[in-house]
Amino acid sequence: MTDLVCASGIDLLMDYLEGELSADQRTAIEAHLAGCPRCVAFVASYRETPAILRRATAAKLPADLSRSLLASVRAARRDPPPGRS
Amino acid sequence: MNSDEILAARAAAGDETALEELVRRFQDRVYRLAYRLTGDEEEAADVLQETFLAACRHLSSFRRESRFSTWLYRIAANAALMNRRTRTRRPTESLEPYLPAFDENGRHTATPSELQTVCRIEDLLDRKALAARAVEGIARLPESYRAPFVLRDLEEIPTAEVGEILGLKPATVRQRVHRARIMLRGHLNALVEVTP
Repeated sequence: MTDLVCASGIDLLMDYLEGELSADQRTAIEAHLAGCPRCVAFVASYRETPAILRRATAAKLPADLSRSLLASVRAARRDPPPGRS
Repeated sequence: MNSDEILAARAAAGDETALEELVRRFQDRVYRLAYRLTGDEEEAADVLQETFLAACRHLSSFRRESRFSTWLYRIAANAALMNRRTRTRRPTESLEPYLPAFDENGRHTATPSELQTVCRIEDLLDRKALAARAVEGIARLPESYRAPFVLRDLEEIPTAEVGEILGLKPATVRQRVHRARIMLRGHLNALVEVTP
């Protein structure tokens, strides 16, 4: 792997971050990152994206929904649909 | 404290307390997962209800070969998918335009500063606006990418378990999460793009 460029490096990024690359691929991507500030910036934003979206979509279960869920589960246990045990 | 699997076995044998404890343990996680998969609070409430009612009905078929959470998340992911399919939705625009651009030598065309703007999005965008655009972005993902991305990157479930939940090989999960993350990174970046 001698001719890694930004475009081909991106394809390896997830496997790189999850430790799934071969030693050769890992060396190639690290050598590219050492000389490419654009890819360093891209990797930083790629790593941060899940955390941003996680915080932005952290919905909380409303208390009334929790109560009605428990009531439905209790009712379903008491009166299972016909044909079910 | 009893493991989820022990509680599931007791619940399957008719122990109401065990069943209610499972509901309490998982209701927040299932609701959050459902919200992230459907992008709608009302639909998330339906999915939550459907998930636990289906789990009650099928508890006796739960085999302790997998974790209870894996089994429950599989029911929830399927319920969310069915729910999305039965609702009429406006067609969503693809996120393909947000994939990174390269020059003829395969180099990023954007500058490091442009590429990294997304890291400051929480300082640059109002919290509510960001929440709305985040949900919109996830809804615009190709269907086959959405659940792997939400389970792996947002619920932080390990890749192998996501594969078990969705019936996919770990390499396929990684590939879909990667594609989804690249699209969403671009989508977020475009919201706060630095204009020269």
